[in-house]
Amino acid sequence: MSVIHREFSRRVYQSGQPLTVAFMGSNNCGKTSLFNAYTNKKFHVVSWPGENIERREGKCFFHEQEFKLIDMPKLNSLTSGTREEQVTREFLRSDNVDIVINVVDASTLQRSLYLTIELIELGKPVILALSMMDLVEKRGMEIDIHRLPEMLGIPAIPISTLKHRGLETLLHAAEHHRHKHLDHLEHHHSSGAHCHDHHEEFAMVYSDEIEDNIDRLINELVSDYPQVTKQRWHAIKLLEQDEVICKRYPLVISRLSDMAGHDYETEMINQRYDFIDEIIDECLVNKDVKSRRTDGIDAIVTHSIWGIPIFLAVMALIFFLTFAIGDWLKGYLVIGLGWFSDVVSSLLAAVHAGEFITSLLVDGVIAGVGGILTFLPNIFILFLALAILEDSDYMSRVAYVMDGLMSKLGLSGRAFIPMILGFGCSVPAIMAARSLEDRTDRLITILITPFMSCSARLPIYLLLSEMFFGSKAMLAAFSMYVIGLVTAILVALVLGRLLKREGKSCNSLLVELSEYKAPSFRCILAYSWDKVKGYLVNAGTVIFFASIVIWLLLNFNFSGMVNDISQSFGAYVGKLLVPVMAACGLGHWQLVVALISGIAGKEVVVASMAVLFSISNISSADGMAVLLQALGSFDFTALNAYCMMIFCLLYTPCAASIGVIRKETESLRWTVFAIVMQLGIAWTAAALVYQIGSLFI
Amino acid sequence: MNLAQAEINQSYIVCDILLNDKMRRRLEILGLTIGSTVTIIRRKPHGAMIVRVRGTRFAIGADLAKGLELIKSEVA
Repeated sequence: MSVIHREFSRRVYQSGQPLTVAFMGSNNCGKTSLFNAYTNKKFHVVSWPGENIERREGKCFFHEQEFKLIDMPKLNSLTSGTREEQVTREFLRSDNVDIVINVVDASTLQRSLYLTIELIELGKPVILALSMMDLVEKRGMEIDIHRLPEMLGIPAIPISTLKHRGLETLLHAAEHHRHKHLDHLEHHHSSGAHCHDHHEEFAMVYSDEIEDNIDRLINELVSDYPQVTKQRWHAIKLLEQDEVICKRYPLVISRLSDMAGHDYETEMINQRYDFIDEIIDECLVNKDVKSRRTDGIDAIVTHSIWGIPIFLAVMALIFFLTFAIGDWLKGYLVIGLGWFSDVVSSLLAAVHAGEFITSLLVDGVIAGVGGILTFLPNIFILFLALAILEDSDYMSRVAYVMDGLMSKLGLSGRAFIPMILGFGCSVPAIMAARSLEDRTDRLITILITPFMSCSARLPIYLLLSEMFFGSKAMLAAFSMYVIGLVTAILVALVLGRLLKREGKSCNSLLVELSEYKAPSFRCILAYSWDKVKGYLVNAGTVIFFASIVIWLLLNFNFSGMVNDISQSFGAYVGKLLVPVMAACGLGHWQLVVALISGIAGKEVVVASMAVLFSISNISSADGMAVLLQALGSFDFTALNAYCMMIFCLLYTPCAASIGVIRKETESLRWTVFAIVMQLGIAWTAAALVYQIGSLFI
Repeated sequence: MNLAQAEINQSYIVCDILLNDKMRRRLEILGLTIGSTVTIIRRKPHGAMIVRVRGTRFAIGADLAKGLELIKSEVA
């Protein structure tokens, strides 16, 4: 056993306490993938009491030491501006955290180090984890791993989550530094005129005037509140006139009135950035190479005339790939599903299974779940494309490009990002609206995001448009995205008029445009796979149960199993709503049942149709022919199909989206409003199209 | 003059920030403090612009830009 290992074991024996490690970092720094790598994605989500702010907690073992790992909210700074920052800061300062691992994207070191300096000042042991080092190398840059820790006084450890490098070293460092605040510091500064030179003690040393004031504040603080620990940090915050800390120690502030009125905070921020510049100068070699390339690409994609057409072309390409290549791959899945369904049927026949079981499995489960699974390729491609947009940071350029249009709606260009994400799935898209500063902007964005057609609605369009629109199928499906976008814009305009305060038209776009990254193939694949897995899990749970429930509703009534489906519970409920839906051209109880089931998840509409018309392979040519025949029997034409697509696009979002709307708006009233509004808009739009269309056809 | 009136590719120094405290704080944390140097890389007519501050690019909306008072930097 090595010396180090023995030491580990002894400590475990002595304390046995898990070591709590908090992961801190800004957006896209690789913090969450690092957390996932350690915890193997086994974690639970915890909210702070009374707050709508979450952290994720998991654990791992290393050298017989248990580590409790906490994935903290993504933050750029700790300056108590937002509630999230305040809560995080208090938590980091508390005894709940032993050590902080600050994950920074090494390729954007300059903007990441501000948080690092704040974390070091906080007084807890900090370890710097440098992610994306391969990117740094690829761009021909170099980071002086030896000099960086000397300047910051904390260990800096290069890691690669993908290649699983540096992960053990990082935990090893965490274990070793649990009681250490700063390592040996080395600065090239001559000692200042200040009575004691702080460069030996602290990484971040301010100007003499500020250091003098910090010393004075520490003295006052200690005499008024002798129990205060981390005095330097408190003094710094008092000097910055941090709201929370000033309120907590009012005596100190009242006595040092000569400091009031002077804006030390700006000076201190400036000095921190000066220090960062110094670090970058010494530790980063060849930093200009990458930025020239980014400027070159930006000159094209953010062009004041070409920016918007380029964005539209990118979106058109994404949808083309989703429809065209997705459909080609879907063909193979349909064949596979048909084969599987036949095998199961003949197996069941061979073992003389009862009619009940055969019908449940073939018409219920395989029809419902299988029908949905055939759309997997389309959804995978869509998420793949969105992941590339996000990972390369083209998304923030879109915020800039679309800012002009969005500001006409009274929103910032940034609100466009959740809207694009809405093409994938409404749930994370609605959550992404959090990044908007203004409360009203956030609310409007949350309310319009569900109109952006999500991937779950894709199977409905693909199925109906292929059946009814033949060669124009892709156009019909694509038009849904346009209608969704237009509806979102109109709703934003109306809500903007109703909700905006007088004179509030501040266009507060503020987005960082980081260097372009060639998206990492493995990252993108991992991300898309994650989403597809979510879709699969959904197919295995929600759709599985929905299919069974619908099958039960359609095959039973009060007197038991029925032979005629139109005598079932389902038919009974559906028939109640038929008069209302007739105006939209959807006045058939089967369609009403399918639409109601779609609230569980929009793709369930397709699953339900499969079960309703007992089609075991709905997206195959045979399946479609059966469905077409069934629909044809009640005069369901292309116009009805189009109205069905519009209704599915616009009506009440799925249960998961409703849940997240409730959570993000923190208001039951707005949640109910969202449901009612969407239902109303869907009905009106479908009815308009149907009534006007009927005049011409 | 303010950032909305500034010229492309010319370096300026921020001399005042005439915005509400919250917005000002946000800008400062990103490194856009009084005394920092900004350069406009690209802009839309009467609209948002892309600026470089401390080695990072930001897209800034027109109304925010109006709140940033500048003086021309001596160093071109």
